[in-house]
Amino acid sequence: MAMNKKLTNIFGLFGQYAGLLAFAAFTTFPFLWALSVALSADPSNTWLFPRSFWPTDISLMWFERVFQEMPFMTYMKNSTLMTFWSIVGVVVVSILAGYPLARLRFPGRNFIFVAILATMMLPTEVAIIPNFITLKNLHLLNTQFGAIVPNFAAAFGIFLMKQAFEAVPQDLVDAARVDGATEMQILWRVMVPVSGPSIAALGIFSLVNAWNDYVWPSIVISSREKLPLAVGVFNDLTGPFATSYSMVMAAIVMTVIPVLIFFAFTQRYFIGGLDGAVK
Amino acid sequence: MKNSSSYTGIAYLFLAPALILMGIFTFWPVGFNAYLAFNNYSIADGVATWNNFEHFKYIAHEELFHQALKNSLIYLLIVPVIQIAALLVAKLVNNKLPGMTLFRAAFYIPVITAVSIAGVVWVNVYKYDGILTWALQLMHLIPQGSEGQVDWLGNPDVALYGVMIFTFWKGIGWFMVLYLAGLQGIPKEVEEAAILDGANVFQRFWKITVPMVKPTILLCTLMSTIAAMKVFQEVIVLTKGQADTYTALFYVYDQAFRNYNFGRAAAAGLVVTFFCMILAAIQFRFLGEKK
Repeated sequence: MAMNKKLTNIFGLFGQYAGLLAFAAFTTFPFLWALSVALSADPSNTWLFPRSFWPTDISLMWFERVFQEMPFMTYMKNSTLMTFWSIVGVVVVSILAGYPLARLRFPGRNFIFVAILATMMLPTEVAIIPNFITLKNLHLLNTQFGAIVPNFAAAFGIFLMKQAFEAVPQDLVDAARVDGATEMQILWRVMVPVSGPSIAALGIFSLVNAWNDYVWPSIVISSREKLPLAVGVFNDLTGPFATSYSMVMAAIVMTVIPVLIFFAFTQRYFIGGLDGAVK
Repeated sequence: MKNSSSYTGIAYLFLAPALILMGIFTFWPVGFNAYLAFNNYSIADGVATWNNFEHFKYIAHEELFHQALKNSLIYLLIVPVIQIAALLVAKLVNNKLPGMTLFRAAFYIPVITAVSIAGVVWVNVYKYDGILTWALQLMHLIPQGSEGQVDWLGNPDVALYGVMIFTFWKGIGWFMVLYLAGLQGIPKEVEEAAILDGANVFQRFWKITVPMVKPTILLCTLMSTIAAMKVFQEVIVLTKGQADTYTALFYVYDQAFRNYNFGRAAAAGLVVTFFCMILAAIQFRFLGEKK
């Protein structure tokens, strides 16, 4: 009986790993192929499968050529700056808006909350046309600020922060009020410190979104030297460099790796912090 | 202690940045978009002239827009597929086994990759002599040799499904994470009790997992439906609309930033908004009943 159970367990474990591996193959095969092609000094096997999943004459020459022929570091710097300010913008706006919606009673609260939530249902992408005209009138076209500012206030972030602040025990707030704390002090000294996981999740979420944003920056920014990675590399890869698959794949690997490293270190906070959003 | 009405000022002060930004970039566009839809708009001098529903009459008869709407509706097929798959995968990674962190990260890679960058790789996956052709030939699903080589994104019969598979690949990790967060809220004892009672894997999945994460399922289905209706970035990077792959929002984008016909784009956008609101209303009713 015990033997039988053990056997079932081993069998189940085997099945689980088989499923996990099969699915991992599905999600990673394009990048594994890209990595292998990028590492191959000799591109002759690029289209010979499955051989091309293993590099031929391993070398970093294509990566060096990307650095030499593409303003990769400029794109990288632009992406870093734009992402940093996006995170600051999203987190500050969401924290400020989440607090009154979660903890203060005031006229119009329900209406505002429903209006913000309703924007999740609208195809906000339709707004690219009016926003383009708005930015033109504000003289913000072809600026990096214009490429990130529409994303600062979004329903998801405000909702996430509201859920997080609602979970903070009322006793803490009352104690602070008795001590004469202002609402601002309550927010920064009580609410924010105990909502670390949710804020971290929002920060990571914003980082990934800002780093990967493609359509809007590609519409707003026209100068090549101001472009972020997702737009600049795409333009270069589909334009001047499209003929060398090896260079294309090397540039792709270089673009993916920074986010990958970042995510590897932060994923535990991300998954934990989203708890509040789905309950 | 203050009474509640004295919080009004401070509440609106805190809300001000969000309300101003949303006012400019989210709510104003809804109204301005509706206004544009009924006018001929010139981007150069900003002059708008009333045109007596001309844009709506035009798109009502245009084959391309009909095609685009139809494609967006076909795209909804992806919703049940991606939701069931994401829940199953979340279940699979919700165990504490060695290497699980690595698997979760692997499943999430497509989500954290820019759509443009991932698109460049997938264009090559779908190339006539790319990975897809090789894999299908390996399984003997299509003829061997050059006879079976199909330009997957250039063939109107399959191109749209090719774009859908890309969306599936790109989005499943995101829903997996949301389901994972939901699954971690299920107490271990429930499942253990079911195992003691002799429930098999399928019974446990349908009778315990699904009911316990129902709120997450509804939230994700809603998000995924709206997202499917709004697909257009994938089309920009994969096919640029060729081979009958126009989606409703790609039509909007294309009219605005390639034809510079902002009014017609806005009219089409209004139609898409209308469709999204109907879908959201249907699902909200559904959500309301189940809660």
